[in-house]
Amino acid sequence: MRNSGAVLILIFIVKLISQAAGVSAPGKPKLTSCRSPEKETFTCWWEPGEDGGLPTTYALYYHLENSETVYECPDYKTAGNNSCFFNKNDTSLWVNYNITVVATNALGKNISEPVEVDVAYIVQPNTPENVTAVVVDEDQGPFVRVSWEKPRTADTRSGWITLLYQLRVKQQKDKEWEEYNAGMQKYYNVFSLHPDTEFMVQVRCKPDHGFWSEWTQTTYIKMPDYIPRQRSLWIIITIFSVFIVLILTWTLNVKRNSVKLCLLPPVPGPKIKGFDKQLLKSGKTEEVFNSLVIQGFPPTIDYDDLLVEYLEVYDNEEQELVLDGKDLSEDCIKSKSPSDCDSGRGSCDSRTLLLEKCMVGRKGSGSDQHQYSQHGETSWASTESSECQGLEPGSPESSDGRVKTWPVVFSSPQPHHHYQAETVKPVYHSVPEILNHSSPHIMPTNYHHLHHQDIPQQEGRHGKPACRHSQSYNHFNLDGLNTPAPGVSPSRSLEYVEVQRVNPENMLLLRPLSDPNREPEGSDYAGEDYSKVKEVTSNNILLLRRDTSHHCVDDYSQASQCTTQQPPHPCKPVIYQSNSGMPQEGMRVMGNGYVDSTVLMPSY
Amino acid sequence: MTQGSRLYFAVTVLMCAFVSINGVGLNDLLERASQLSDKLHSLSTSLTNDLDSHFPPVGRVMMPRPSMCHTSSLQIPNDKDQALKIPEDELLSLARSLLLAWSDPLALLSSEASSLAHPERNTIDSKTKELQDNINSLGAGLEHVFQKMGSSSDNLSSLPFYTSSLGQDKTSRLVNFHFLLSCFRRDSHKIDSFLKVLRCRAAKKRPEMC
Repeated sequence: MRNSGAVLILIFIVKLISQAAGVSAPGKPKLTSCRSPEKETFTCWWEPGEDGGLPTTYALYYHLENSETVYECPDYKTAGNNSCFFNKNDTSLWVNYNITVVATNALGKNISEPVEVDVAYIVQPNTPENVTAVVVDEDQGPFVRVSWEKPRTADTRSGWITLLYQLRVKQQKDKEWEEYNAGMQKYYNVFSLHPDTEFMVQVRCKPDHGFWSEWTQTTYIKMPDYIPRQRSLWIIITIFSVFIVLILTWTLNVKRNSVKLCLLPPVPGPKIKGFDKQLLKSGKTEEVFNSLVIQGFPPTIDYDDLLVEYLEVYDNEEQELVLDGKDLSEDCIKSKSPSDCDSGRGSCDSRTLLLEKCMVGRKGSGSDQHQYSQHGETSWASTESSECQGLEPGSPESSDGRVKTWPVVFSSPQPHHHYQAETVKPVYHSVPEILNHSSPHIMPTNYHHLHHQDIPQQEGRHGKPACRHSQSYNHFNLDGLNTPAPGVSPSRSLEYVEVQRVNPENMLLLRPLSDPNREPEGSDYAGEDYSKVKEVTSNNILLLRRDTSHHCVDDYSQASQCTTQQPPHPCKPVIYQSNSGMPQEGMRVMGNGYVDSTVLMPSY
Repeated sequence: MTQGSRLYFAVTVLMCAFVSINGVGLNDLLERASQLSDKLHSLSTSLTNDLDSHFPPVGRVMMPRPSMCHTSSLQIPNDKDQALKIPEDELLSLARSLLLAWSDPLALLSSEASSLAHPERNTIDSKTKELQDNINSLGAGLEHVFQKMGSSSDNLSSLPFYTSSLGQDKTSRLVNFHFLLSCFRRDSHKIDSFLKVLRCRAAKKRPEMC
């Protein structure tokens, strides 16, 4: 008891003294790493702990995973200090080694942590050997060929270990290395190095499953001074530009039309209807301008014939005249608006159209009533009156009983916005019927002149007294009216009008027979086609009441001068001496705002 | 094409294919096989690293010893001298036996991977599936090699795997998963090494590769 106590006290004192002297048991060593360079041997290194100030010995002990036998390290020397080298005989693959290091000194020992090692996983080969770099001169320019050999210990020949190589290159002044993988081969060509500079080359290797080796010692190589020929670059540039040029050319070719259009915009050619450029080019100006000449324009037809006389009411002589006049004015008004067709006064126009044309056709130089038919016939022959020609042959049929045919022909219910168009349509409809009786040669002329009928008609209206025609068209009145006009074919009249009533002021209110808006007597409503006669002035001028629904204005009152005259007395054209309401010289403003410039045409 | 000509055409194509498959040289077959085994081992290594990233320390204590692997009974060369002494067909049969021994366990691993108590379980799952595919292709390829070699006997060792489940609780499942994977990693390294030895032995006309 006293001994143990004394021993303890002694140990304690020794420890204190040793601590004061700086010696102690060794610290714990630590196994740092174990490596196998060729998968046949391996080495383990440890790190000694505190040695405690006293000489310390280290011992490595290991045992395999499936046995408890502890072996000590066979070789402490080969691998240097603090290492243990396991040779081939002591190395087994795919077996776990449990390794510990024990540090021992005079005061005690210390055991490191055990480490499990499988040699298969700790392979790190040695560095490659004999790294050589040579400059190879070629047409494209010199390059560097680096070659090396495998580490001596690695047995790649039998396939026991497989090595992959890697090299890196840089200039002296560069910071970063350029790395290249060489795979399993033992050489590598480095291209595009700067001329006249020194390069550093290093190589290392690694097993298929393991760690990279260390880099070899630097190998220096100097690139010669050469001028890099960029021939391939120029070839590429040339090919590329040729390609682009080809594409551009092809694109331009494909789009040549639009390019032409863009660069050389077309000069607009003359756009005169009936103008033949070819004729002009051939130099025959005579013919060219001949084609421009509108046949039948200016019209030389009897304008009187154009006036459509819708109604002749033979109440008594005076009234008849009045009516004629009124009719005339109304007719004039009605038929005088070729451009009024836009206003939608279709019914009026369509009905009046042919009648007016007939009147035109009938126009002749003669003032005699009898001459109408003759004139009309002559006018047919002269191809001036269009539909009338077509009509004329049929006119014999259109006696009283046949009056009805005309409405069929002409009162086409379509709203005609253009005078010409209106004329065209009914005529075309009717022509087959009518021309059955007429000579076929008339037909083309009919069509030809249709376009020009407007103007002559207008003129005709202006120029000729309608009174003359009033007799012509009495056939086209309502049933029951007298039909005394000799020699006048009733075919001319196309429009049926009816007298609505006669005002106490001797105003005749007319309306077309087929006017849907017909009201019973007693209304002042005169229809859109008609203008009410306001009064008859002292100098035989019929003043019409300007109405919004009317399209005709006072202008036609001029033509009604003849109303007060004897029927056979030709009216003088007094178009341009309008009393009032004429806004412009030669221009007629319609009630609906349209301006009719046809009045500019000279009247005959 | 008429019926007869179509038949001729099909037969010709099949024969060409057959010949071409069999016509592949042993070198190329072994080259391909070693590439596959290399990939196999790399996959298993990366899987092990993924598992190790979040492995509980207690698991390492619980880990069974490597000698508990079901393939530990197979006699294999442990160093180079032994390995180089073994004839090719024996090396091949060793490789094939090992490969065969792992088809069932990998199926188990694959089924368990998705329910592992591990944050990287998705990656682990996909890699395990890939592992399974690789093993199948390698097995088929080694069959070809075997037929090409024309050895007389086919002495494959049977290494049965009896475990049907990895465990009851998630920790033990994780630990067993890790353990199985480590066994596989080692065995895949063996297969790879053997095949590469075989490859270099067959490639006598291409010494630069070996």
